Amino acid sequence: MDAQRLKDSFAKVAVHGDEVPLFFYSDLFLRHPETRDFFPVAMNAQRDRLVQALMQIVSNVDNLSEVVPFIQGLGRDHRKFGAVAGHYNAVGDSLLAALAHFSGPDWTPGLEAEWQDAYGLVAKVMIEAAQADESLHPAWWDATVINHELRSFDIAVFRLTTHQRLPYAPGQSVAIESADVPRIWRFYSMANAPREDSTLDFHIQMTDGGALSSVLVRGLRVGSRLRLGQAVGAFTLDKLPERDILLVAGGTGLAPVKAIAEQVAELPDPPRVHLFFGARRAEGLYDLPDLEKMAAQRPWFTVVSAVSDEPDYPGERGLISDVVTRSGSWDRHEVYVAGPTAMVEATVDKLTSARVSAERIHVEDFGWSTS
Amino acid sequence: MSDNSGYHGHLTPDQVHSMIFPHARLGRRGYDEEHVRAFCAQVEQELTWLLVERASLGQQVQQLRQQVRDAGNGDPGHHPENARLKAIQIMSLAQKTADHCVSEAHEYCRQLAAGAKQRRDQMLDETRSRVARMLEQAQAEASIAAAAHISDTALADDPGNPRAELAYLRTYSEVYRTHLRAYLQALLHNVEEWGRAEQSALPAEYEGVWRARPPSERFRSAPAHHGAPG
Repeated sequence: MDAQRLKDSFAKVAVHGDEVPLFFYSDLFLRHPETRDFFPVAMNAQRDRLVQALMQIVSNVDNLSEVVPFIQGLGRDHRKFGAVAGHYNAVGDSLLAALAHFSGPDWTPGLEAEWQDAYGLVAKVMIEAAQADESLHPAWWDATVINHELRSFDIAVFRLTTHQRLPYAPGQSVAIESADVPRIWRFYSMANAPREDSTLDFHIQMTDGGALSSVLVRGLRVGSRLRLGQAVGAFTLDKLPERDILLVAGGTGLAPVKAIAEQVAELPDPPRVHLFFGARRAEGLYDLPDLEKMAAQRPWFTVVSAVSDEPDYPGERGLISDVVTRSGSWDRHEVYVAGPTAMVEATVDKLTSARVSAERIHVEDFGWSTS
Repeated sequence: MSDNSGYHGHLTPDQVHSMIFPHARLGRRGYDEEHVRAFCAQVEQELTWLLVERASLGQQVQQLRQQVRDAGNGDPGHHPENARLKAIQIMSLAQKTADHCVSEAHEYCRQLAAGAKQRRDQMLDETRSRVARMLEQAQAEASIAAAAHISDTALADDPGNPRAELAYLRTYSEVYRTHLRAYLQALLHNVEEWGRAEQSALPAEYEGVWRARPPSERFRSAPAHHGAPG
């Protein structure tokens, strides 16, 4: 395989921007109308994701250690969408058609063969990863809502039971799909450490106009069914924590952080844990009573909460990033930060300025996700 | 003409090939002149017919070619490859239209929700400060009343009778409790009204939009606590 040739060819095609994936999907749906059902009505985000994934693959095509795990992840990830080996040929045909169309006169039999081989390899790795995964996990987990609480105007906390046990580490997240908005998957973190009865808690904040979050916050009832993908993410505790732990959560970023706190609680000799929980308004501290109850029973666990946008709030006021940094020095701690992007960035910035080493600070990474 | 039966009665290559002319009468060499002439006349006729036929066919070919060319220029859809591209174009346009509609609906929905949230925050803030003002006022009135009572009792009543004073204060506090209860009930009622209005507005307002909304943004996105639309 001539890596440089593929890169050059892809770069030329990519100049046409959104037209390329648009052509690809149109061609695919025309040749195989049944594949249209695998996608949501609006496709703009889908097209972006396709191009991103292709770029990721093509730019690393000569770096197997980088690209193979990525492609394997794609293969596993596509199981929950219902992709089967048979679909890969259809996708390959349309992909080559799109490349040919936008390559124009550059499209020679030699180049075609090059792409054919490359795609064949990618498809093979994806299919094999998906098949290897089949023996370990179902393509998705069916789950039923057993408890649903609206904690504020736009935050809900609910509990699911899965018919099959879903393995995960505290801090990880799963993609969720509701039959009410089919083909739309969003990642949410489990808010508890794995339990004997394998129930899962989720904290969901409704996003303005959010398709799935609206359903999860306002539309779910006890008995509602959801589908879950497999757990992903590296926002987890390393083995046995040797240092004390600082957890910082903004809004429903509390979910993964609470799961980690629960995990620590199960350790024979838990380290000191400080949990800082911030929200814009008091009602955003939707889980504070439960956290305070947890802290009251555990001498090693301290909870600090703060509200930033409510001048007459009786408790601590200010941005949680400021409250954390003015409350102590954290350079001997292992730090986990989750919440809205701005809050996470501010907290990481301020902690790094306060001499906390960047490699001790863990944040969630969603960039790789393809669903 | 163009059908095979057209050759019926016409000269065929076989006939020419197997033509046998009778020899000329004795004393003269070669074939019988009359027969040859008659044959030549027949050949001439055949050639003329063939030439006319050929010209007419040529013309037809030209016309057909022109038709193909015209069709090609005006509507490329007749060529199979062009037809496929055309279909892809139409499909892509339809998809773009769908994307546009969905993102419009999404944006509209987002604005509605953001506006509603803002109004909610405003109402909460206003209510809170109104309650604070009410309480302040009630306290002020209570202390004035208490002071008045003390001076009243000091002037008219037995100043040293704590029992009377206690009864008086009890009456007053009961009055203010009643006031406060009524006010809080009114507030609660408002909040419930608001909740009910929201519930009943929800299905109609959201259902269509849910279905229509783009999956969008999910790429880097993720848990809704990350601030990405979910």
